[in-house]
Amino acid sequence: MNALKPYLLNILVFFPLLGTIVMLMYDQIVGKNEETLKKMALFFSSITFFASLPLIWWYNDPALIVNVPWVETLGINYHLQVDGLSLWLVLLTTFLMPIAILSGWTAIHDKVREYLAFMLVLETGMIGVFLAMDMIVFYLFWEVMLVPMYFLIGVWGGERRIYAAIKFVLYTMVGSLLMLVAIIALYLIHGENQAGGAKATFDMVTITQNLAQYNFLTPTQQFWMFAAFGLAFAIKVPLFPFHTWLPDAHVEAPTAGSVILAGVLLKMGTYGFMRFNLPMFPEAAHQFAVPIMILAVIGIIYGALVAMVQPDMKKLIAYSSVSHLGFVMLGMFAFTEMGMQGSLYQMLNHGVSSGALFLIVGMVYERRHTRQIADFGGLATPMPLFATLFLIIAFSSIGLPLLNGFVGEFLILIGTFNSTYSRAFAAFATTGVILSAIYMLWMVQRVVFGEITNEKNRHLQDLNLREKIILVPIVILIVFMGVYPSFFLNRTSEKVNEIRKVVETHKTTTPVATTN
Amino acid sequence: MQAQALNLNYYYVLPHIIVAVTGIMSLLFGAFNKKAHRDLVFINLAGIFTAGASTWKLWNLVTTASQDGVGKSLTAFSGMVVLDHMSLAFIFIFLIVAFLGTILSLNFLEDEDLSPEEFYSLLMFSTVGMMLMASSGDMVMIFLGLEISSIATYVLAGYRRKDLRSNESALKYFILGSLSTAFLLYGMALVYGATGTTNLESIATAIKQGTNLVTSQPMTVEILYIGVAMLLVGFGFKIATAPFHVWTPDVYQGAPSAVTAFMASGPKAAGFVAFLRIFVIAFAADTSFELNATWTSILQVLAILTMIIGNVVALSQTDIKRILAYSSIAHAGYALIGFLANDWTSVAFYMLTYSVMNIGAFAVISVMAGKNEQNTELETWAGMGFKSLGLSIALLIFMLSMAGMPLTGGFMGKFLVFKTAWDKGLHALVIVAVLNSAASIYYYLRPMVVLFFREGNEETPAPLLSWSAYVTILLALAGTFYLGLMPGKLFSLLEAARDTVALVR
Repeated sequence: MNALKPYLLNILVFFPLLGTIVMLMYDQIVGKNEETLKKMALFFSSITFFASLPLIWWYNDPALIVNVPWVETLGINYHLQVDGLSLWLVLLTTFLMPIAILSGWTAIHDKVREYLAFMLVLETGMIGVFLAMDMIVFYLFWEVMLVPMYFLIGVWGGERRIYAAIKFVLYTMVGSLLMLVAIIALYLIHGENQAGGAKATFDMVTITQNLAQYNFLTPTQQFWMFAAFGLAFAIKVPLFPFHTWLPDAHVEAPTAGSVILAGVLLKMGTYGFMRFNLPMFPEAAHQFAVPIMILAVIGIIYGALVAMVQPDMKKLIAYSSVSHLGFVMLGMFAFTEMGMQGSLYQMLNHGVSSGALFLIVGMVYERRHTRQIADFGGLATPMPLFATLFLIIAFSSIGLPLLNGFVGEFLILIGTFNSTYSRAFAAFATTGVILSAIYMLWMVQRVVFGEITNEKNRHLQDLNLREKIILVPIVILIVFMGVYPSFFLNRTSEKVNEIRKVVETHKTTTPVATTN
Repeated sequence: MQAQALNLNYYYVLPHIIVAVTGIMSLLFGAFNKKAHRDLVFINLAGIFTAGASTWKLWNLVTTASQDGVGKSLTAFSGMVVLDHMSLAFIFIFLIVAFLGTILSLNFLEDEDLSPEEFYSLLMFSTVGMMLMASSGDMVMIFLGLEISSIATYVLAGYRRKDLRSNESALKYFILGSLSTAFLLYGMALVYGATGTTNLESIATAIKQGTNLVTSQPMTVEILYIGVAMLLVGFGFKIATAPFHVWTPDVYQGAPSAVTAFMASGPKAAGFVAFLRIFVIAFAADTSFELNATWTSILQVLAILTMIIGNVVALSQTDIKRILAYSSIAHAGYALIGFLANDWTSVAFYMLTYSVMNIGAFAVISVMAGKNEQNTELETWAGMGFKSLGLSIALLIFMLSMAGMPLTGGFMGKFLVFKTAWDKGLHALVIVAVLNSAASIYYYLRPMVVLFFREGNEETPAPLLSWSAYVTILLALAGTFYLGLMPGKLFSLLEAARDTVALVR
């Protein structure tokens, strides 16, 4: 097993890509067979998942690090590394991918080969983003991942798919290109300073260390770089008011696309904040904390209120994402251990629960070809198992104790309450918890309980084997995360505290306005 | 300044001679052997390879010379020809463009029964002209090269002579090209009038001293300024910067795709290298009158205008060739940023990546557009994506490369330009450029929307892929990925070569 270690991260990144290539070649040789193609995709993504499991124990092992020069004249290295911050996000990705592929098993019959190929390329991109420790490599995966998502929405999406796909790409591009400028600027400044004998490099680990040690950015530089990185990530999160691409993309994407979008893609934004903005520009982080927390709280409440009135289930869940991601941002910028740990935990919770909710919607959509809440009612009678699992997942999203959502939200709220910032943030955010109970339960009630209002719903099939295989692991995970959070939090605490300390030691009282 | 020794060093112009001889050979060979179409291609390719090999020899010669400290003064023919890494790097680009252009043209000429011998010799002559532009140290020589190259390209643009659009394209190109040449020539004359010399380094000296080298009187600065302004306009036309870009869409649309691929890449790069030479060498020195500051600030405005106009107008185009024409305008804007950062290596690398991906894209278009390229309207492509998956993915990759997506050459080109420019403090330009790049993704993905997201007519047959287009596309793909994934070697070559070129400032 130990001999595998130096290759493991590369395997995680490139095994799905290999799957893509094999599938494209296979089709050339044998001809089209949907079932086989789907099995192959499932095989490749499952192997990736199992290969990622050892990371839980190995994540701090330096033997895992891959670091080879790529473009030497510019100091670009192909540097992959996993740490407490990225560990669970990588696992979330590899865990959701086979599930997402299974979810499209019967729904996708059109251009199956291309669909699966894009899914696997997407997985490569996502894992790459979380593992990359060189800014250019990070940017590379970050951008490349757009292409498969664009096609997944555009080809296999719903009615307004073209609009949604283009909007998704344009929003992300604006942010990420400004991030590229910030990356270049950071690289140049770091190279000029030569602090600690530093060479010009794009290596994130080196730059973060040197920044923390020598602090050579002027406040103005920090401010603008935080803004440039922050914009890219805020669009991805999405932080209010940059969220408008999200409902469109979520609603139009095919089920698997929505699952990945909600489950993993949004986390790339919050991950970026933790990876870049907080440890690299800590002083600016303090300056930006209050505005971001205000936006986060607005997002929490606004997202919840808008979710409440949605007649479309998918749209409801999409807006609930805006609300939940607001919690993540709030906890992160509280700069307390609890807040930040909770923030990281909430990322995982949201990935699991929202992903599961999209799967649920996909399942009813496959049966009835509608997502309107009004078309349903009383589904518990024909589909008892479905109703049970739906309820558990909804509870997890609301944050019922013993389920995962509770841990994350609770930590975030306590962390925010105990932070040096106003307690009003925590107070207002708490209303979000209540609101989420309202819109979630109301949806569950209208869909699952009550009398059967529509005759078409009377004879719906309950979950079949495939759907059970999809949902049961998720529900187990939800419960496990709810009762044994320390399994997860113990592994993240070291890294989170490291970031928190950097932020804490660089606290200045300079208000934003005077730095320009 | 006194005339330099008449240094007739034919070795320094060996690549030029080889390419010119190849052109003549194509012409003669074709005249005597009417059925020798494919042989002509081999003659051309052989010529290009030999020229490439001799260019590489010269590159090493310059490298050695610059290590001995004489690298900045390798000139021949009384200073008419300058041999340095900049000229050689651009000559490489022209040879690559000519190479891909030759291969791409084969099938279109055969299918439409157009005479190949003139085509290939014109292609070679145009290349010689561009090579002369790259390696000239004198305004007269630049003009000569420009004319050789342009006249050949005018004819090429109208090569599909039974097609009205092709004729329109050639005529427009000719008239507007002549106009711009007139501007250039007038500008050169005025600069000569002010400085008393046409040699670029002497001009630089004259401007530094502020005297006319012939009369030894103080220079008439107004005349110099008007001359420089005229040169700016002339070169603006050649490289298609706004507001001198209006000819581009019509010309690019009408000309056969193979020719458009060639002329959007080669002559544009040639315009850039001559532009660089005149402005960065001759007009570099800061004097009592702020010539340098004046043209740089004008050019900054032009660069911003070019990017914005190119990208914004491209958004509303429906014809793929017009989209790429406006995109080529926008790319001239990005390359100008490298120009303004006073770094020729980033311009050279940018033009190289742009040429490769641009030729690739036009190769795909030449196939997708069907016989005689009737279907260049995007709408006619609806639903073709999955029918001709390979072609569409190739187009996707070229388009993404132009938009600056990582893994492709286009990203590395933009990255290098932005990095250099940011380093030189051109922050506003870089910000404008990245916002433009973000907007450009919209129209670069437009073909994908039509190809993949729209339902098409089931009965439309998939286009037939000719093998010449196939080879070109494969080579361009390989080039795009090579430049995007393994640019390290090229970067270090250029890095080492940067300072061996006499760029003052």
